Amino acid sequence: MVYQSQAVAKPYFIAAIGLFVGQVMFGLILGLQYVIGDFLFPTIPFNVARMVHTNLLIVWLLFGFMGATYYLIPEEAETELHSPRLAIITFWVFLAAGVLTILGYLMVPYATLAEATGNSLLPTMGREFLEQPTLTKIGIVVVALAFLYNVGITVLKGKKTVINTVLLLGLTGLALMFLFAFYNPSALTLDKYYWWWVVHLWVEGVWELILGAILAFVLIKVTGVDREVIEKWLYVIIAAALVTGIIGTGHHYYWIGAPEYWQWWGSIFSALEPLPFFMMTLFAFNMVNRRRRNHPNKAATLWALGTAVMAFLGAGVWGFLHTLAPVNFYTHGTQITAAHGHLAFFGAYVMIVLTIISYAAPQLLGQGEARSNRQQVLEMWSFWLMSVAMVFIVLFLTGAGILQIWLQRVSENPQPFMAVQEQIALFYWMRTVAGIVFFIGVMVFVASFLVKGREVARETPAAIEAAA
Amino acid sequence: MPSLGPNLGATGDAIPGQRLAIIAETLYLINLLLLPGLAFLALVALYFRTIANAPPLAACHLRQTLSASLWAGGILVVANGFIILLGGYATGATWVVAILYFVCCHSALVLAGALGLARAMAGQPYRYPLVGRNC
Repeated sequence: MVYQSQAVAKPYFIAAIGLFVGQVMFGLILGLQYVIGDFLFPTIPFNVARMVHTNLLIVWLLFGFMGATYYLIPEEAETELHSPRLAIITFWVFLAAGVLTILGYLMVPYATLAEATGNSLLPTMGREFLEQPTLTKIGIVVVALAFLYNVGITVLKGKKTVINTVLLLGLTGLALMFLFAFYNPSALTLDKYYWWWVVHLWVEGVWELILGAILAFVLIKVTGVDREVIEKWLYVIIAAALVTGIIGTGHHYYWIGAPEYWQWWGSIFSALEPLPFFMMTLFAFNMVNRRRRNHPNKAATLWALGTAVMAFLGAGVWGFLHTLAPVNFYTHGTQITAAHGHLAFFGAYVMIVLTIISYAAPQLLGQGEARSNRQQVLEMWSFWLMSVAMVFIVLFLTGAGILQIWLQRVSENPQPFMAVQEQIALFYWMRTVAGIVFFIGVMVFVASFLVKGREVARETPAAIEAAA
Repeated sequence: MPSLGPNLGATGDAIPGQRLAIIAETLYLINLLLLPGLAFLALVALYFRTIANAPPLAACHLRQTLSASLWAGGILVVANGFIILLGGYATGATWVVAILYFVCCHSALVLAGALGLARAMAGQPYRYPLVGRNC
């Protein structure tokens, strides 16, 4: 670690991994509930399990982004973090708010939770992904403001690089877009219209800036390629992400009552959305091919390359699969959406957080540049187990989705939703098996932190110098 | 814009043939993503106009991309045609197999092309997994 204050990233990463384990466990519960309808009912009903699964995802990714920021900003700005104490306080506030909210979902009926947390004073609850009580949302805003203040002051007093500027832009956008969670008009079309400003403009907008900045940071470190080269790529990628992603929001406006022109705008711009992800793949492999050093942290390099590939497949290919309006007319709200959502979130955001954790962990744990060989081997096993399992989860969901569309919306005698669900149960069983393998992969990742092993051979300063 | 003459890529490149290698990989990807058929014809034309005098790096990428494009045609068009012919157009099973097959194969071929292009940009040779020819 170059700066002491980078250590504040550690609790954020630990919390992120802990919540990730919880998220995947609830994913398994959901997978089983698809095929055994009354599994864990009434203790954990399907709607509650789904809410916990998606909310935990958002919360742990935010922990990951914050940890990544606290880790890389001091190094980029070449100065200590403005206030490590504030970073630790916000960590505990955010963790407490997150855990209490999840416990609230699990222990209290949702309507009671809404009443108890004063939702009637400022109603914001009851919408997918934004189910959090209004109090929690206010807490998130306070934490975000404290976080942005801390990081912003650090950047202002230190060196301004392309990476920390793009990262700060992404994080500011994240906080700004979240404010639309407080706008809750009674007209459903208007509600959905602005709801997507949070959901879509996060994952297909500002989060891509955060992803690009973290990926660029790790690639500079593990490849030793000139910063200028990587920064140029980053500029092009984020420009493409914003140009396509912002108007690409239109692919959510096809059938919600918004004007018809969105079918054109949404189709054209979201058809271009794979472009930044394609460039990201090209960028990552190009940098690794041109590397000027052999970094001993092989696992982090693997995660970085995996992020680019899986993000392209999940967000790019599986997004394109159902993004054109005439296709989406049939695929809307089917398991095709679930397939895309799983691979896109895993490829783009889960993997980038695991990439930065993989890169930063040895330094945060005092192991130098890389963890032991044994730990890295375990980590690489976890990479392959999770990635292959996720590919199969997505293929089974895609198969389920295609058959669902055929039986429910295309065939001469369209069948009702639940009748179709029974007929695609085989795909759900296979998805659950793949989910178990994914969970094993997560546990192997956790186990890689619990084992020890011999230190890896390090590059000598002379070798680094020679390579440069 | 460089002319597509026989010496393309041999001069002015940091590594001889790099530009030609990049053009070949780009045409392979355009054939898969944007202009199927047209980009393939351009790749064929480029291959026959330049292969005789191409530096080793360019020759490698030209052979790879032409071979992989031919395989891609077979894998994506011919095999999918068979799936639909054998299964019948109007069955759910055919749709499941055909779409999953197409998406998986197409993505794999595009990813292989992206890796090929990254190698060309780094001035390195590349062999397409399974469908590539030895350089």
